[in-house]
Amino acid sequence: MKVLLFGTCLVDTFFPEAGEATVRLLRRFGAEPVFPKGQTCCGQPAFNAGYEAQARAAAEHFLWEFDGDDPIVTPSGSCAAMVKHHYPRLFRDDPKRLAKAKRAGERIYELSQFLVHVVKAHEAGLRGKGTVTYHASCHLTRSLGVREEPLTLLSSLKGATFIPMPDAARCCGFGGTFMAKLPEISCALADEKAASIEATGADTVTGCDSGCLMNIADAMRRRGTKIRVAHIAQMLAEGL
Amino acid sequence: MSHEQTSLAFRENTVRALEDTALRAAMKQAADTFGTKRADAFAPVADLEALRDRASAIREDVLANLPMYVDRFVASATRAGATIHRAKDASAAREIIAKILSERGAKRIVKGKSMVSEEVDLNSHLEAAGMEVVETDLGEYIIQMEGESPSHIIVPAIHKNRRQVGRLFADRLGVPYTEDPQALTKIARKALREKFLSADAGVSGANFAVADTGSLVLVTNEGNGRMVTSVPPLHVAILSIEKMLPSLTDLPAFLRLLPRSATGQTMTSYVSVITGPRKAGDATGAKELHIVLLDNGRTEILAGESRDILKCIRCGACMNVCPVYRTVGGHAYGWTYPGPMGIVLTTLLTGMEKSHPLVDASTLCGACVEVCPVRVPLTDLILGLRQRKVRDRFSNPRERLGMEAFGKAAASPGLFVLGQRLAGAFWPVVRALGGKDVAGRMPAPAKTPFRRRLP
Amino acid sequence: MSGADRERLFLKNAAIAAAGTHSVSDPRDLPATLGRVVASDLPVYCPGVTELEKAAAALFPVRVDDYAAATVTVEEVFGAVAETGTIVCVSAGGRAVQAGLLPAHHVAIVRRERIFDTLDDLFAAVSGSPPTNITLVTGPSRTADIELTLAIGVHGPERLDIIVA
Repeated sequence: MKVLLFGTCLVDTFFPEAGEATVRLLRRFGAEPVFPKGQTCCGQPAFNAGYEAQARAAAEHFLWEFDGDDPIVTPSGSCAAMVKHHYPRLFRDDPKRLAKAKRAGERIYELSQFLVHVVKAHEAGLRGKGTVTYHASCHLTRSLGVREEPLTLLSSLKGATFIPMPDAARCCGFGGTFMAKLPEISCALADEKAASIEATGADTVTGCDSGCLMNIADAMRRRGTKIRVAHIAQMLAEGL
Repeated sequence: MSHEQTSLAFRENTVRALEDTALRAAMKQAADTFGTKRADAFAPVADLEALRDRASAIREDVLANLPMYVDRFVASATRAGATIHRAKDASAAREIIAKILSERGAKRIVKGKSMVSEEVDLNSHLEAAGMEVVETDLGEYIIQMEGESPSHIIVPAIHKNRRQVGRLFADRLGVPYTEDPQALTKIARKALREKFLSADAGVSGANFAVADTGSLVLVTNEGNGRMVTSVPPLHVAILSIEKMLPSLTDLPAFLRLLPRSATGQTMTSYVSVITGPRKAGDATGAKELHIVLLDNGRTEILAGESRDILKCIRCGACMNVCPVYRTVGGHAYGWTYPGPMGIVLTTLLTGMEKSHPLVDASTLCGACVEVCPVRVPLTDLILGLRQRKVRDRFSNPRERLGMEAFGKAAASPGLFVLGQRLAGAFWPVVRALGGKDVAGRMPAPAKTPFRRRLP
Repeated sequence: MSGADRERLFLKNAAIAAAGTHSVSDPRDLPATLGRVVASDLPVYCPGVTELEKAAAALFPVRVDDYAAATVTVEEVFGAVAETGTIVCVSAGGRAVQAGLLPAHHVAIVRRERIFDTLDDLFAAVSGSPPTNITLVTGPSRTADIELTLAIGVHGPERLDIIVA
């Protein structure tokens, strides 16, 4: 099955290991990921900051790059939610693009969604090790409604112990440009999240959104905590 | 006392709040308590989503036909014997109320909790006119004594701990120091009972106004709302026009949602439905009832793209779950309404020029949307206001340049890759320019981006 | 819902809301219950209008005509709501609803046939032309304004007893 891979700008630029892990996972489960070469960013930074025209420019480009009927897979809950929920709003006055946007929203899967619902990766008996806890990122959880899939995958890892985090779905304080505009609150929230992670005693924290994980990793650095921060794609790909 | 709006200094306010360890401890404890109580209260409600749908639909109908419902309310309440006043803005509301009170020689005014009266800054105006205004809700009583404004729309003194309240009461009321909430409550009961019995007038807000019957609905716990509306001879109620409900039969849906959302109670201690003043043969009610219907920009909001904020029933659930609110408290927002609903309402009621930093005071995490009992799309409203901020040129010029560049790069793979390479090559420079707050918290770009690692 | 179920649900929910709950199957047992609930030496306000109130009023040696001077109000109320454990006080018939507010102890007698299943049933019954004041009372007066810690008896009664008769 051919799938179009949307790497996301953050993974592309900062976290290529998460992208590579995504490719390995998809291939292992029988999908053929194709990376549209001209892809850029879903437009979320501009959209969330109120720059609708710039967000629309990014969205138009995305729809052009990801045209067709193949499923789209992305290792980010937030970018998937952007396409699914905000693209229709951006093109509310443009019937042709609106139809494409809605279609893209139906085609797009956040990685854990695809792994559980389409290829049943949780039944494959992947291996894992150590203790792992999970941060449920905001847009993944509340906008996309993806709550169980990452837990299903993590709990299926043989040899690893999953430790739930209290208030796992509480915001880590990243918020895209929020991090830049109100850094003091952003850091306070990241500290609170880091403390929750530390309290689990897990040796690794994982999640489905690189932005949040980046923010959490920064809090860990500031606090001198040695807990590993890894995208869920990396956690899963290590057990292949 | 009067409180100047400080929303423009939101970031500075948050920095100060973050340094206040007592505040942060109080907020954290409050948020955790609220979260648990709300969840427990809703757990046994089998058809919660249907209930929210119904309440949301009623509120949407009210907004779609607001002028009709307001007219109907005015007619019914007048028929029931109340006198209705329409106030276009805050100053009109203050004038009207001051006139009603002074014409009747009212000197001592007991007040029930009313956020609308905070919105129009009523107390300072009445005090300037020589009246004694006594807030009688325990939380309001505490902050009035302290010279503060509410930091939460349901629990006004949520930012204070019991030791602070104990010291305040000892200082101001001359009672022995105690930090036992039950004992402090008894002290307030005694002090305020005298005020109720000797008051010339009661001023209250209302949670709902019922169009069919002209009734005011007050949802309370302490009993001060009942005192204020039934013990003094004169009752003046101030409420904003969007508080309409079509009929009393619409009320149950809201009585099932509001207390659970607000305080985690299945039901508040008291719900008062007041229809007109005391009539012949009655032994209950104020002899005279005046109802001030405040517009203060609502008609304009109703006509605009943010109208859904007028569905809000002021339960406070959105602030209790908001990561920003629970970290910095309500005063940082710099005006009457804090938290997610406050971001939207403050910006709309006071204008972008006085409040634009507030629209950035959200991570868009969506926790507020998840709990809103009447499905106000808070994050969408905040996004809409951010777009307006950009349109009205209140956004930071450097950010604007950056976003314009971003828009071009996002639409052009060549530019995007160039930008990526430049960022990688000049990361130390980017880091220096971006400052420790932003780039300093990000890792350096990968030597080889994902797109060039693909086999 | 059967009458017995309705009464059981009402009493259960009222008790959850921290009201004292009592039930008498025969009106002749009312005095005995009141004797247990109301201390005999306190000033009591009792309107003495309904049959149940007349039966009650005779029990109190210190009866006052001014509810503001009373420590206890004993009255029959309009009705109740099983869904929430609420009693309903109305101003109809010249009743002073605030009589159940000012004294520290409110004793409400409600006839079992006046218990509504739900809030919807109650408001359907009163929505046509409501009296000046309808007050729903669920438990004693309370606040959580200091550190969200529950305190009882702010401005209203610190004690609410309900007798279903």
